[in-house]
Amino acid sequence: MLEFKELSKTYDDGTEALKRVSFDVQDGEFLVIIGLSGSGKSTLLRCTNRLIDPTSGRIVWNGVDIAALPPKELRPVRRRIGMVFQHFNLVKRLSVMNNVLSGRLGYTDNWSSMTYRFSKEDRDNAMKSLERVGLTAQAFKRASELSGGQQQRVGIARALMQEPEIILADEPVASLDPVLAHTILGYLERLNREDKITVICSLHYLDLVQRYATRVIGLRDGEVVYRGTGEDIRRMTDAEFKEIYGEEAERVSAGPASVQGGAL
Amino acid sequence: MSSPTPRTAERTPLVPAPVAGVLSIVVPGLGQVLSRQVQRGALIFASAATMAAIFATRIADLGRRAEEGWPTVVRAFERRPFFAVVVLLSLLAIWLIGAWDAYRCAKERRRPVTGVFLFVLLGFFVLGWQISEINVVKMIREAPEALPPLSRVLWPWEAAFEYETEVLGAEAKILAGEGPGPERPPVVEGQPYLRSEPNFGRLSQQDENNRPVLGTRITVTGFDFAPNAATEIWWTDPIGNEFRPREAGEYIIVTTDDNGEFSFEMTMPYQLTPPSAEGPFLHTLDARQITEVGRPRPSEALRLTVARMIETIFMGMMATAFGIIFSIPVSFLAARNIMAGSRLTMAIYFITRTILNIVRSIEPLIWALIAVVWVGLGPFAGIVALTVHSIAALGKLYSEAIEGIDPGPIEAIQATGASRIQTIMFGVIPQMISPFISFSIYRWDINVRMSTVIGLVGGGGIGFLLVQYIRLLDYRSAGIAVWFIAVTVAILDYVSAEIRNRLM
Ligand SMILES: Nc1ncnc2c1ncn2[C@@H]1O[C@H](COP(=O)(O)OP(=O)(O)OP(=O)(O)O)[C@@H](O)[C@H]1O
Ligand SMILES: [Mg+2]
Repeated sequence: MLEFKELSKTYDDGTEALKRVSFDVQDGEFLVIIGLSGSGKSTLLRCTNRLIDPTSGRIVWNGVDIAALPPKELRPVRRRIGMVFQHFNLVKRLSVMNNVLSGRLGYTDNWSSMTYRFSKEDRDNAMKSLERVGLTAQAFKRASELSGGQQQRVGIARALMQEPEIILADEPVASLDPVLAHTILGYLERLNREDKITVICSLHYLDLVQRYATRVIGLRDGEVVYRGTGEDIRRMTDAEFKEIYGEEAERVSAGPASVQGGAL
Repeated sequence: MSSPTPRTAERTPLVPAPVAGVLSIVVPGLGQVLSRQVQRGALIFASAATMAAIFATRIADLGRRAEEGWPTVVRAFERRPFFAVVVLLSLLAIWLIGAWDAYRCAKERRRPVTGVFLFVLLGFFVLGWQISEINVVKMIREAPEALPPLSRVLWPWEAAFEYETEVLGAEAKILAGEGPGPERPPVVEGQPYLRSEPNFGRLSQQDENNRPVLGTRITVTGFDFAPNAATEIWWTDPIGNEFRPREAGEYIIVTTDDNGEFSFEMTMPYQLTPPSAEGPFLHTLDARQITEVGRPRPSEALRLTVARMIETIFMGMMATAFGIIFSIPVSFLAARNIMAGSRLTMAIYFITRTILNIVRSIEPLIWALIAVVWVGLGPFAGIVALTVHSIAALGKLYSEAIEGIDPGPIEAIQATGASRIQTIMFGVIPQMISPFISFSIYRWDINVRMSTVIGLVGGGGIGFLLVQYIRLLDYRSAGIAVWFIAVTVAILDYVSAEIRNRLM
């Protein structure tokens, strides 16, 4: 279980991005965070693996307060938390294989990394991860040669290499078209169901939220303004959605066929 | 330039059109200003004023030996009538066109500024032509002068190779003084021999009034030489000075006939030993048939050029290597995203940037002049100069590459639990490697090219050799050096472009 307790983040310029946010994430959940642009979704996700340091509050995971860890002790925590980004954040000049293998860095010693060496086991596992996202044929291409959807699949394979208990996904489909959105979220859902990996994912579109979430947290101006189960959100009408979400709320205009496509 | 016109379109001119024209004759641009076309007026005023000022100083300079005032002008016109008239006319034209333009401006209000602008440019062009002493006529007239050195530079290969030589020769002793002459050696069968008739006489001399007094004429006959071959004649005086005597200003070269014989007449050469020297002096006359044998060997010039070219390439390489080593740390100090942390680091950033810009704006040749004073003549001075310039140039390029790094992948690598070193290896270096290599190769290319000229100011390398050959008027050897430079630079250009293309 991952517990956020009174978590606050104030940026150096005084922006209060999170204001005493508290909620729990049960193991195995597919938690979706919704909220307007600027409501603090990214800040929340990035606090979770300490890409940014929260100002106050606690993030307790397996009895450890992540928020209070000194930088030196972050490594064992970070390597069990995978992260998928809106802009994929692959190292474009490295091969797909090396990008996937970089998910093992948390388990690899510095010396081997200096020469880009990984164990045979790691390389075999990287191939298996690529197989799971259907990219074995692209393994030795440069990451920059892949399409957006393929790059995000590499991003997922990289996260998978960490043997994560949690995957954080910050708007993983916002730069992809709706069909691809279902493909990507489909992969995440599968990891969630089959590998029992907890997924915490921020999303923009109501129908995607309804389709994938087992639980939903709504943020507005850094405060939790909505908590609901998957059932709750599936019963929700557009009007109610707009109420928490604001006028920007929209649906993905993809037909049912592509929803099927997302289910693998 | 035409942006102010729409704004002023609604506004009426302050003066009527003809007045604007007249005002612009009095002060160029004034009419335009009063027609509310301030920028245009300012442009015309500034150009007319600059031209008039330059013209005035040139006239004063040209007529400077005459009295102040009018005589100066007259003298200047006498000395360079073409310059004076052309510039005066263009000045006048600017003035009149400015006035006409003011008139039109006041009348139409909206007029494109391009025409005026072009005209002003033309005016400055005329002025520039005169001031920079461009002389096309002389250039064409004296073109033939440039041909001999040019053709040698363009095709220098005769000087690139030399041959082993074999000499077939014979000598005859000649006594300077009263006869009889020395005894003649016996003829050996199968060997050439030389006879002089007479084999004694007087050397040429100068009398008290420095007038030449020619020496005895002798007839020289050679036997049993190789037939139909050029034969050089040499003279050696008793103290061993060896030289080629001349007849009518030309070196004596004779050609043997079918029997290997020749015969010619010559005057005994000038005396080189002091006249005070007494006694009978035996001079030696010899004839040499020189044949080139064996395979061609690279000449001294070619060998030196190759050695210096290698030195040059290594100079460029060493300077690039040092430049890279030193510019890496510097580039971090000059990268905004790295130094954005605090006020202190930003101050360091600005200082580093400023120093880099100053160092970079001073040409390597000037750095070489300083380096020669510092470490002395030679390739090391060139390396120092090029290194200093490379550090600044590469520091700037690298720092821009660092500024262009995408933080996203770095964050993604950090998120996997990677250590600092791992983050650099996987997140930073792959992003930097290709601009880094491509800038470095580009710099190597520039450095080798620069090191070919840095020798001109004493910085070693092939340039050093090149100036020496040019000063000795040895255009063939200079041509060899020029060819080597051109070919090396071309190859380097191609290779570096190719590598950079592959990397992109
Ligand atoms: N590095 C930063 N420095 C200062 N303020 C920041 C920084 N990053 C984010 N903020 C501010 O914090 C607030 C929350 O930002 P955050 O990126 O978490 O929102 P978000 O919900 O992810 O929005 P979006 O949907 O646009 O990604 C915003 O007001 C933002 O301007
Ligand atoms: Mg965000």
